[in-house]
Amino acid sequence: MSPATGVAARGLALGYGGEPVLEEVDFSAGAGTTVSVLGPNGGGKTTLFKGLLGELAPVRGTAATAGRPAYVAQTDRTRLDFPVTALDVALMGSLARGRWWLPPRRSDRALAREALERVGLADEAFTRFGQLSGGQRQRTLIARALVQDAAVLLLDEPLAGVDPASADRIEAVFAELRAEGRTLLVSTHDVESAARHDLVLCLNRRQVAFGPPAEVLVRQTLEATYGSEIVVIDDGTGSVRAIAVGHHAH
Amino acid sequence: MNLIYAQGVPPLPAPVELLELRAVGVALAELGLLAVAGGLLGAWVILRRLAFFTHAAGTATFPGLVVAQASGFSPRLAAVGVALGYAGAVERAAHRGRLQADAATALALVVALAGGTILASDVFESGAVVDRLLFGTIIGLDGGDLLVSGAAAVLAALVTLSLGRAFTAVGFDPESSASLGLPTRRADLLLLATVAAAVVAALPAVGALLVSSIFVVPAAIARLFARSVRGLLRGAVLVAAAQGVLGLYLALWLDVPPGPVVSVLGASAYAACAVAIALVARARPAGPQAAEAPA
Amino acid sequence: MELLDLLLEPWRSGLERRALIEVVLLGLACGPLGFWVITYGLSYPAESLGHGLLPGLVIAALAGAPLLLGAAGGVAVGAAAVALAAHDERIGPDTATAVVVTGLFGAGTLIALSPDAPARLEELLFGDPLGVSDADLVAAAALATLGTLALAALHRPLCAVALDGPGATALGVAPARVRAGLLALLAAALAVAVQGLGSLLVLALIVGPALAVRRHARAPTRAMLAGGAVAALAGVAGLYASHHLGSAAGASVALTLCVAALAGAALPVRRAAAARARPGGG
Repeated sequence: MSPATGVAARGLALGYGGEPVLEEVDFSAGAGTTVSVLGPNGGGKTTLFKGLLGELAPVRGTAATAGRPAYVAQTDRTRLDFPVTALDVALMGSLARGRWWLPPRRSDRALAREALERVGLADEAFTRFGQLSGGQRQRTLIARALVQDAAVLLLDEPLAGVDPASADRIEAVFAELRAEGRTLLVSTHDVESAARHDLVLCLNRRQVAFGPPAEVLVRQTLEATYGSEIVVIDDGTGSVRAIAVGHHAH
Repeated sequence: MNLIYAQGVPPLPAPVELLELRAVGVALAELGLLAVAGGLLGAWVILRRLAFFTHAAGTATFPGLVVAQASGFSPRLAAVGVALGYAGAVERAAHRGRLQADAATALALVVALAGGTILASDVFESGAVVDRLLFGTIIGLDGGDLLVSGAAAVLAALVTLSLGRAFTAVGFDPESSASLGLPTRRADLLLLATVAAAVVAALPAVGALLVSSIFVVPAAIARLFARSVRGLLRGAVLVAAAQGVLGLYLALWLDVPPGPVVSVLGASAYAACAVAIALVARARPAGPQAAEAPA
Repeated sequence: MELLDLLLEPWRSGLERRALIEVVLLGLACGPLGFWVITYGLSYPAESLGHGLLPGLVIAALAGAPLLLGAAGGVAVGAAAVALAAHDERIGPDTATAVVVTGLFGAGTLIALSPDAPARLEELLFGDPLGVSDADLVAAAALATLGTLALAALHRPLCAVALDGPGATALGVAPARVRAGLLALLAAALAVAVQGLGSLLVLALIVGPALAVRRHARAPTRAMLAGGAVAALAGVAGLYASHHLGSAAGASVALTLCVAALAGAALPVRRAAAARARPGGG
């Protein structure tokens, strides 16, 4: 049951053997949509991504995506000591496009260079991955996802610990991808940035809420999602500003 | 040296004279072929952190070798069987994430060694055979060993050419493999099996206990200087070849098995390179570029 | 009575009597230590240090010096070399250990196999419990007492760091120091035990008994006591087997220790212990 476009989950429950750690997930997002995924650590964001990738078989319900999603993890999950350049990493995306057991084609290389240009790293193509800054590394991983040319992209806290210039560049790329008709799921701790996306999905071991930011980013929902980890600033104009006090210890 | 050589150190033999001996030619060819297999696979062994597995695969074959030697059964087949079985067991245990996988593996090696030595003392008259099984030989190599090593080299090259990109991608970012559509489990199993099979090829020359001298140390030395995976592969093969040739010469001179000589040679070279790099880095002005090793 | 004869026979020979005492002392010393070695994931370092001390042993044997001295020196050099080599992040501790151990072990073998060297390599590799001297017994007894005292003194820090590494710092315990202390104890145990079981097999004494009791005794104190008991019993059983079957003593002891580990892992856990041990949640 693969949707023609985007992402769909129906009555989804996911677990690692034993009790499910994430339940009652029911949402769908079509082409050209960005969804920000909010929730505390351990709330199920990464689990959801694994389920959408097909790494975890659903305990109940279904999860479906248009084609195999591109997954961008945080850079501290990668090996910084590997002897690979930014170009090599971007080129890894072409493994998803076809016969991975053959050497990369010229067209693959051209795509990789283009992708690096799109994220503003054309000059760093031959720099070793481990020598790039945090923001540059994150952009390289996004370039890899671009080369993959997937209809759906799952990004795990792509802006965490990234310098403002890189963050701006990354957000500009998100806007481009959205305009191209792709679907992006972006997990984040930044409630403010969630307001800028089309849809918001709140997870705390189950789906707390799903919908446009105006509907979802209200006090009750945020407190149900984050529990005591949230600081809500009500400036009296009716909308709420909130700061999630999420820690980045994984 | 007085400790060891009561009669004084023997004179250095002339290389040209040595080459006239057929056995030496065979040994040279053997070590050359092993250099290809060991260098190529060694690169993956150190990138994927499989050094302990490699050493264990070699050690695990010891009792199989003893039994084969005594019963006349083909030692290579026995060794391949044991090594592959071990590879499969390791892959399964790692996948299940058993806490004491390390401890169980280490104990399995003790069983292999203790069992092998008890069998050997029942079966063999002298300890010389055990020494050969544990540490290798120069003169005992034959055409069959060359064939097996050649096959290992070809296998290593094929695996590197077709699976190298996948190994790099998965090693670099394990969580991305599902997204890239790579058959990670099968690829990993294939790598373990290939390493185990290639280790078997090295047993006659360097023995069951010192396969790391071919499959880990040259790649580690190359790693100190490599800037790319390709460079690492090339460097590992070159270092393995150089170490093999020089080690063979020294082993002939000192009249000892090649395994220990190659091991000491390789480890010393690694130490020298690591120290040299550290000294050069200290001499240069501090900065991010200083972390990069000189080519 | 035949059975009594079987049991008493080895005790009649002075050599074997000493071997039995040695094995019991070593078992009491190493069995409890093994619990922490496994809990802290130190099996691979233990195996590597056991192999890496070989050159020290060989040099001591050739020079006529006490093997304990050679083993202690070998362990110290090996540990220092591994620590140095592991500094390079490109290589990683796994590969660094392999390089160092291969080099050291090769060096030991090289010296021992040189044509003019007296052939004692087999005993150094596979152990020689029957060659135990009074000095070795004293060393083993010292290890058993001092080691037990050290483990008792370190008990709370060891538990704290094992249960909750980062949290232990808040309790005033330095995880790095505790780990270093444990490694030092491990090194001492290896240096003493290698005389009995040899460089290649000494790991069985450290890790075997702990694996045997791991599923059955979860609490640290109980596991350590059980480990010591299993180690001593298995060691004695191994010597008996060697005596009656005529097999190499060191290897026989190592094999019985491994069989004990296998048996312990295979035996079904008592229901009450299993229920307590079941982890809560995924």
